[in-house]
Amino acid sequence: MSSQENNHKDDSNANDNTTHFGYKTVAKDEKVSMVASVFHSVAAQYDVMNDLMSFGVHRLWKRFTIDASGVRPGNTVLDLAGGTGDLTAKFSQLVGREGKVILADINSSMLNVGRDKLRDLGLVQNIEYVQANAQSLPFEDNTFDIVTVAFGLRNVTDKEMALRSIYRVLKPGGRLLVLEFSKPEYELVNKVYDFYSFNILPKMGGIVAKDADSYQYLAESIRMHPDQETLKTMMDDAGFEQTGYKNLTGGVVALHKGYKF
Amino acid sequence: MKSVPKPLLNIIPQLMLQQVMFAALEVIINKAVSLNINPNNQLNDLEQKTLAIKLAELPFPLCLTVNHNKILVTKLIERADCTITTSISTLQALKKEQQLTELIKQDRLDLIGDIKVAKHFASLAETFDIDWQTELAKHIGDVATHQLVRLGHTIKEKVAFVSEQIQADSVEYLTHEQRLVVSNSQLEQFNQAVSVVELQSKQVESRLNQLADRLSTLS
Repeated sequence: MSSQENNHKDDSNANDNTTHFGYKTVAKDEKVSMVASVFHSVAAQYDVMNDLMSFGVHRLWKRFTIDASGVRPGNTVLDLAGGTGDLTAKFSQLVGREGKVILADINSSMLNVGRDKLRDLGLVQNIEYVQANAQSLPFEDNTFDIVTVAFGLRNVTDKEMALRSIYRVLKPGGRLLVLEFSKPEYELVNKVYDFYSFNILPKMGGIVAKDADSYQYLAESIRMHPDQETLKTMMDDAGFEQTGYKNLTGGVVALHKGYKF
Repeated sequence: MKSVPKPLLNIIPQLMLQQVMFAALEVIINKAVSLNINPNNQLNDLEQKTLAIKLAELPFPLCLTVNHNKILVTKLIERADCTITTSISTLQALKKEQQLTELIKQDRLDLIGDIKVAKHFASLAETFDIDWQTELAKHIGDVATHQLVRLGHTIKEKVAFVSEQIQADSVEYLTHEQRLVVSNSQLEQFNQAVSVVELQSKQVESRLNQLADRLSTLS
């Protein structure tokens, strides 16, 4: 199956009560628990697998995100779907004692791994941990200077609802950065990427994380995620202004950015 | 000349070479900080301060932020407490704190923001000293390190001798063999000839003036 042929505009295109879980169509209520089971299963090996799957390039994508964030000392940052806390670690060092970083994830296993990792790094002073659903964030309006979602948005059941929720909690002048897998710009990259994702990646997952199915889901969920332009439109619709995106590594990943004024 | 295909040009910025450079610099700087045998309080004084360096040779800024005795390398210039605009060669001179104001006076360096931040960073660089022999000995042992260092000194001395020799020989070759460079006596001769010509031209000038005066009297 060609990757982009399956790239739906968004989950909302499906029947009202159904959504996508990789290439499967499932009831919306089921997706949350299915995604949860994927991440409960891979949490312990998540960082190792990230390094292996991306050949370490995910660190550069995240560094690029930090550089594009414009973070300042004293800022309050929400690292949504922050998983094992790679962005939180950097933000924590850059906002200083006056600032605060909240690492939020819907999955308790990921949050636990993230918390242990950050504590081992000695990062404790300005980090809080919150188990939260991106669709209904448990924070007051206008709370954050920056919200980041790195490789998390594609797992959210209702992306529009999540974007509206993020918009609500951002301060006026605040910005959202979405780092996510996207549509490769070049046909050759696309073909290589497809072969790698569907043939090598699940096998790697099977060997390292003992869970090939979760990495099959990962490959499928990437293909079902909205492409660059669609996600930009979704951000516009949610109320974000000056939205734009930057393709990284040939469009394998894109960094979207939008402001709330 | 064949032009580079456009898609290839587009993908170059996407390779995030800046981020590769920042990551490598961050590792090198922090390793060097941890190996410094003259640790001082400069890093404490710089906590959460950011020095941005805009180098003429680089199209992006380098921002150094201090956090808990570690240095983060980013391009977050918005948060800079002090921004220095200069070149790589001037940056080497900046190692000495006293040089800072001198370089600003000479227009070799432009500084915006808190000068104390730049001074602290310069002072940090000035006191930097790493005992490479001890570090090397940890990995390859004392004897091997001693021999390696001796070999290094020998090579250094030989390179210095050869370089001096080449310099002397090349001067000799240019002045005597190829006569591309004039000798002192030739220069002296030339100067004398110029003086003679100058004297003669002055004499002609005064003669002409006299003739002009006489002509005006007659008319």
